[in-house]
Amino acid sequence: MTTSEYVIDVKDLTKRFGEKMAVENVTFNTKRSEVFGFLGPNGAGKTTTIKMLTTLLPPTSGTASVLGFDLKTQGRKIRERIGVVQQQDSFDQGLNVETSMEVYGLIWDVPKKLRRDRIDELIERFGMHDFRKLATLDLSAGQRRRLQVAREFIHDMDLLFLDEPTVGLDPIVRRNVLDYIKDKVKDGLTIFFTTHILEEAEYLCDRIAVINQGRIIQIDTPGNLKRRFGSAKAVEFNLQEESPPGFVENISSQESISSLTYDKSTKTYRTTTSRPELVIPEIYRIADRFRLTISSIFIAQATLEDAFINMVTEDDKETKGRETG
Amino acid sequence: MNVYLRLVYRNLRANLDKISLFFELIFPLFFVFVQGYALNGIVPPFELGNGVVISYSLFLAAGAVTLTVINAGTNAGTQLWYDRKNGMFEQILMGPFTRAQYILSIIIATLVIGIGGSLLVFLLAFPVLGASISPTIQGAALFVLALILGTMFFGAFAIALSVGLKSSETFQIVSTFAFFVFLFTSTVFFPATKAPPAIETVSLLNPLTYVTDIFRAGLFNAATPLVSLELGVLVVEAAVMFVIAVLAFRRIRV
Ligand SMILES: Nc1ncnc2c1ncn2[C@@H]1O[C@H](COP(=O)(O)OP(=O)(O)O)[C@@H](O)[C@H]1O
Ligand SMILES: [Mg+2]
Repeated sequence: MTTSEYVIDVKDLTKRFGEKMAVENVTFNTKRSEVFGFLGPNGAGKTTTIKMLTTLLPPTSGTASVLGFDLKTQGRKIRERIGVVQQQDSFDQGLNVETSMEVYGLIWDVPKKLRRDRIDELIERFGMHDFRKLATLDLSAGQRRRLQVAREFIHDMDLLFLDEPTVGLDPIVRRNVLDYIKDKVKDGLTIFFTTHILEEAEYLCDRIAVINQGRIIQIDTPGNLKRRFGSAKAVEFNLQEESPPGFVENISSQESISSLTYDKSTKTYRTTTSRPELVIPEIYRIADRFRLTISSIFIAQATLEDAFINMVTEDDKETKGRETG
Repeated sequence: MNVYLRLVYRNLRANLDKISLFFELIFPLFFVFVQGYALNGIVPPFELGNGVVISYSLFLAAGAVTLTVINAGTNAGTQLWYDRKNGMFEQILMGPFTRAQYILSIIIATLVIGIGGSLLVFLLAFPVLGASISPTIQGAALFVLALILGTMFFGAFAIALSVGLKSSETFQIVSTFAFFVFLFTSTVFFPATKAPPAIETVSLLNPLTYVTDIFRAGLFNAATPLVSLELGVLVVEAAVMFVIAVLAFRRIRV
């Protein structure tokens, strides 16, 4: 085995569950002290990838080295140097916040003095003072999540996997957690981070792989993704009436329109395009055909979120086309 | 610290339900202090084997000690269930451990509970048992071996059951039911040789019978050729059940 210069080096990694391709020929690498993001909708294959890279699930095919160790033959070596915050809850049920961190530190063989110091620091940084003596079973979902993330920092590691770590956290705590992670990255920690929340990926990640239906469809820096896909414009409009059946489908099926989203709270339709001058007359024409009145319409700068939705829906359309055609 | 010590410590600290453990200890004491004495009036002393004659209260007190072995075994299944339900099973397998270390740590924790519990019940029952036991080195060896093999068997049994069942509720119900079947068809309450043939046969298929017979033989110095045979069978049964548990464990999906 040649020692890879990358912290994670993955080639054609694939996982199949029966007929279902959960992860398909995924190839990427991450450098030291990098935050590498996996961004994708539910069911895209993010968790399955993490389960493979943390040696929990054997890959169907493909190769990977983690921290220079071969995934297939050196699992134990890998596990000694990684941390994992799973997407699912994980807690010891007979313990409270403090004792569960204590016992977790102990099973990782962290010396007692160091354990104590870290627990105090983490309780402070994650704002867990008020519930440090509360039984894990009595914690709210958000508190439990905070404990789960904090607990993982008890032990030393070179690489941390975070599977949607901020789900269920309120915005202030979320920012707190992300900032703590950023500090650790400055100290040399490498992070593999999954999320379906775009701002989070943008805030934290050095590079983002957009994953959909088990395949990586883009890998780039948040800035570049924005430049490449954000040059498009967004067209937003409102209708006076409720839209009748068929209207949304009719607009989405247009050649120049890749996707149409609807925001219920503002009753706004939004689509991205590189040719707004073609799309706007088209929208008017279809609205007219359905006897609808457009009350407002305007052009805006596309966001990274537009780019993300675009990439995913384009990819879904292509896949569908390939399967039916 | 040694990896097994760390994992066993965690199992005992995090996964023991202290309330049910308390009741598991109280339960056998009712047999020792109430049932045994109550039945002494209608059950005359009888021969245990090797010419040793004992009262029913002594007979039952010894049986009650081995009863804690099944209780402890059930705990092995509960530990695994809690870890799977709470996402700690995966968490530990992604840590610096192997699957074998994890499952062994559950078995060791179960042995600690089983042997610790039996000794505790034994100490509490000492006022009843104390005057009549005739300890020898060979007897003590049988005594300890019975408890270890019994805990191994029932621990492995509960682990296999725990893997096979879909919910922790089902596990609780099935293991409680199995517990009663093992208990009432064993020689905890009656000597198999004095039971009707059908019950004797069932009883002689039951590992708890061997645990109890071997334990009593060791305690009262009443070993017979049958007991040596039972020891051999129990070793095989514990080993087979252990293999079944390991195979079942390897099939757990993550
Ligand atoms: N154990 C499993 N058996 C069968 N299908 C699975 C299993 N685990 C995941 N999948 C499927 O694989 C796909 C990817 O799942 P997952 O990796 O959990 O996605 P994500 O984490 O991106 O939401 C999904 O379609 C999911 O239903
Ligand atoms: Mg997931």
